[in-house]
Amino acid sequence: MTETVFYIIAVSLCVFAVLSVTVKDVFHSAVWLALALLSVAGIFLSLDAAFLGVIQVLVYVGGIMTLFIFAIKLTARIGDRSIRQVSQQSVCGGIVSAGIFGVFLIIIYANQWNDMMLPPGQGIGLNGLGKALLTTYALPFEFISVLLLAALVGAIVIGKVKQ
Amino acid sequence: MVKLAHWISVLPFMAFWLNIMFGRKLGKLSAFISVGTSVMAALLAVLVCMGFMAGGSSYALTGWLTVNGQPITLGIIIDSLTVMMLLVVTIVGTLIQIYSIGYMSGDPRYSRFFAYISLFMASMLGLLLADNLLLLYIFWEGVGLCSCLLVAFWYEKPAAAAAGVKAFVTTRVGDTGLLLGILILLSLGNTLHFADMASVKGPESLVALAAVLIFLGAMGKSAQFPLHTWLPDAMEGPTAVSALIHAATMVAAGVYLVARLYGFFLAHPLALQMVACVGMISALMAASIACVTNDIKRILAYSTISQLGLMMLALGTGGYTGGTFHLMTHAFFKALLFLGAGSVIHAAHTQDIRAMGGLFTKMKMTSVTFIIGALALAGIMPFSGFWSKDEIFCAVWHHGNMWFFAALIATSFMTAFYMARLVLLAFFGASRLEKDVHESPLVMTGPLVVLAAFSAGLGLLGSPWCHGAFQHFIQAKDEAIGLNVPMAICSTMVSLSGIMGAYMIVVRNVKFPTWTWLKKMAVNKYYVDELYEVVFVRPFQRICVVSAVFDGACIDRAVNDVGRVVGACGQAVRRIQTGMIDRYLLVQAGGVLMLLVFILGKVCRIF
Amino acid sequence: MIPLGHYVLLSAFLFCVGLFGVLTQRNAIRFLISIEIMLNGANINLVAFNRYFGASDATGQVFALFVIGVAAAASVVGLVLVIAVYRLRKSVFIDDFNLLKW
Repeated sequence: MTETVFYIIAVSLCVFAVLSVTVKDVFHSAVWLALALLSVAGIFLSLDAAFLGVIQVLVYVGGIMTLFIFAIKLTARIGDRSIRQVSQQSVCGGIVSAGIFGVFLIIIYANQWNDMMLPPGQGIGLNGLGKALLTTYALPFEFISVLLLAALVGAIVIGKVKQ
Repeated sequence: MVKLAHWISVLPFMAFWLNIMFGRKLGKLSAFISVGTSVMAALLAVLVCMGFMAGGSSYALTGWLTVNGQPITLGIIIDSLTVMMLLVVTIVGTLIQIYSIGYMSGDPRYSRFFAYISLFMASMLGLLLADNLLLLYIFWEGVGLCSCLLVAFWYEKPAAAAAGVKAFVTTRVGDTGLLLGILILLSLGNTLHFADMASVKGPESLVALAAVLIFLGAMGKSAQFPLHTWLPDAMEGPTAVSALIHAATMVAAGVYLVARLYGFFLAHPLALQMVACVGMISALMAASIACVTNDIKRILAYSTISQLGLMMLALGTGGYTGGTFHLMTHAFFKALLFLGAGSVIHAAHTQDIRAMGGLFTKMKMTSVTFIIGALALAGIMPFSGFWSKDEIFCAVWHHGNMWFFAALIATSFMTAFYMARLVLLAFFGASRLEKDVHESPLVMTGPLVVLAAFSAGLGLLGSPWCHGAFQHFIQAKDEAIGLNVPMAICSTMVSLSGIMGAYMIVVRNVKFPTWTWLKKMAVNKYYVDELYEVVFVRPFQRICVVSAVFDGACIDRAVNDVGRVVGACGQAVRRIQTGMIDRYLLVQAGGVLMLLVFILGKVCRIF
Repeated sequence: MIPLGHYVLLSAFLFCVGLFGVLTQRNAIRFLISIEIMLNGANINLVAFNRYFGASDATGQVFALFVIGVAAAASVVGLVLVIAVYRLRKSVFIDDFNLLKW
C-alpha cells in the first residue's frame, strides 16, 4: 500500500517538475510547481518525517508560492505566450544536465543503494527533531532567524519605490 | 644684540609662509605682513650694526655637516661688509615693498607677490649672513628661484614667462660653476668658512680653477659678460621687482661674493685679473648699448650691468673700498631710478622714452627724485655716485693699467650721456603722450623721496668731510683713500661732457659723425643673443628634434605596440566575459560536471 | 519496501530537472522556480538518508528545515530583485540584465 502510493506520488512529482520547467506560461509553471511541492510533502510523509511535510506545505505552498504568484502578476507583461521563454543555450544546458544525471546514476548503482531497505522503527519523530534543534543546532537555528530578518529588511529596502 | 642677526632672515621667511598659506584670506593685509617683517628686519639690522660697532662678532647657531674632515656650521658672519649690506638690503627692500603696495594694487595675485618678495628678502638676507660657502650657495639658489618667479610673475605674458626661464637658465650656468668651485675646494680638504678662506691649501692650478669657477657664479648672478643677456629680458617683471632684485640686491650678490672672498681672490692673481677684465668688458659694452636703447627699463638694466662691471673692475684692480662703496650707493640710486621709472610707466603706460617727454611739469615729485638719481649715477658732485666713482677712479689709476683706466673714462662718459639722454627725452621738451598723466600716489612717491635723500647724501660718508667714515668702517687695507682732487676734477669733467653731448644731440639736434657700424652693433646688443642662438640654442633644438624623432619612432612606438598587443589580447578574450548570467551558469554547471567525471574516474581508477 | 536507491534516484532527477531549468530559462521568475525544484530534490535526499542511516539522529531533517528557511529567504530577495530590475528595465529576461556586459 505504502509502496504503491509512493510510486504514484514519485512519478507524478517527476511529471509536475518537468511540466513546471517546460510549459510556456509562467503562471501555469507556478501552478505545476505548487503541485510538485505538495508531492514532495507526500514523499516526506513516506519517510516518517511528518513535521517536515507539514512545514513543506506551510512554507512552500502557503508562503513561497503566494510570493511567486504575486511576482508573476506584478511583472504581468511577461506572462505573454508569444515571448520566447527558453534561451539559446537549451541544447548545451540539456547535455550538461543529462551528464550530471548520468553521473548520479552511476553513483547510485555503484553504491548498491537499491538493495538498502528501510530499517524498522518510526524514525526520530517530532520529539527528536525539536530536541536537536534546540540543543545541538541551537546556534545555526538562531542564525537562520537572523538571516530571515535580514532578507526581510533587504527585500523592503530593495523593493521600495524611490522618489 | 649681534646674536639676533639670524632673525633678520627668519622674519621675512615667516612672512612668506603666512602669505603663501593664507594669502587668499589675508588680501590687502599680506602687504602689511611683508612690510612689517621687513621693517623689523631693518630695525634688527640697525641693532646688529650697533652691536658690531660695540665689538660683536660672528657666531655659529649649530653644527651642521662634516665634509671631508672639515666641519661646516650653520653660522652667522658679522663683519663690516655684511653689516653694510644688511642695512642696504633691508632699507631698500622695505622702501620698495612700501612702493609695491601702490604699484601692485589691484593685481589679482597681490598676496602671492608679497609672498615671493618676502621669500626673496629671506634668501637675500640669509645669503648675506651665511658664514660659509655651502650655506651661501643654498640662499644663492633661493634668490635665483625668487628672481625667476618674480620675473615671470605676469606669466600670462609669453615674454615674461620666457624671460623668467631665461633668467633662471642663464644664471644656472654660472651657479653650476659656483657649485663646481665649492666642490673642488671641498675635495681638496679645505674649509668653506669665509674666515679661513684666504689660506686655501692644495695645488695652485686647481685652487685657481676653483676661484675662476666661483667667479663664474658671480658673473651669472651679477649679469656680467657673457652671461649678461638675461638681465635686460628680466625687465618684463613688475618694476618693483626690477628695482629690488635686478638693481639693488640680487645682482649685487655677485659683487658681494667677490668682495666676501676677496682674500681668496687676492691670493690668485689670475682670477683677480679675470674679474677686472670681465668687469671692464661688461661696463663698456652695456654702457654703449644703453646709449642707443629706447626702453626706459632696459636703459636702466644695461646701466646696472655697466655699473656692476665697474664694481668688478674696481675689485679686480684692488679697489676693495671703491667696489663695496659703489655697491652700496648704487643700490640706493638704482633702486630710486627703477622706482621712478615704475612711477613713470604707471602714469604713462609706455616704456618707450621717445613716446614720453614733458613729464617734468606733470610729475614733479617723480621727476625731481629721478633727476637726483640720474645725477648720482652720472657721478656729479655732491651726489653719492660721485664719491664712490671717485674711489673706483683712484683704485684703477693706482693699479696702473691704462686700458682699464681708459675703459673707465669711456664708461663714465657714456653713463652720463645715456642718463642725460633719458632724462632730457622723458622729462623735458614737448609732451608726446596722447593722454594726460598724473603724479603717482603718496605710497609710491614717499619711498622715492627717502631713496632720493639716501642717493643724495649717502656719498658724504666717504667724503673728506666725514673723514672717510665709510673707508674706516669697511676696514679697507688698500692705500687709495680719500679725495684725490685732480681725479675728482677729471671724473667730473668726463661726466659733464657726457651730459653736454646728450644735450647737443637731443635738444640741439646736432648731428655728430657717428660710426654707423658701431651704432648698429650697439643697437643689436653686439649680437650676443644671436650668437647664443646660433651656438647653443639652434644645435640644442636640433638635438631635441632628433631625440623627438627617436622618441616617437622607438620608445613611444615600443610602448604603443605593447599597448596594442595587450589590447588585441583583450579583444580576443573579451568574448568570455559576456556579462550574461545564464552563460556563466552554463559554464559553471559544465565545470561541475567535469569535476564529477574526474572524481568518478579517480575513484574507479580509470585515469 | 522501497529501497533507498529509489529515493535518491527521485532526488537526483528532480535536481537535474531543476538544473536544466536554471540553465535554459530566460525568465528570471522561472529561473527561481527551477531553483526551488533543485532545493526540493536536495531536501528529499537529506531526509531519505537521515531515515535510512540515522536511527536516532535528526541531522538530516534539521538541515532540510534549514534549507527550507534559507530557500524562503533566497526566493524573497530574489523575487524582490526581479521586481526592482523590472521597474528599471521593464523586463524580467536575464539576457536583458546585461548591465555588467563588457
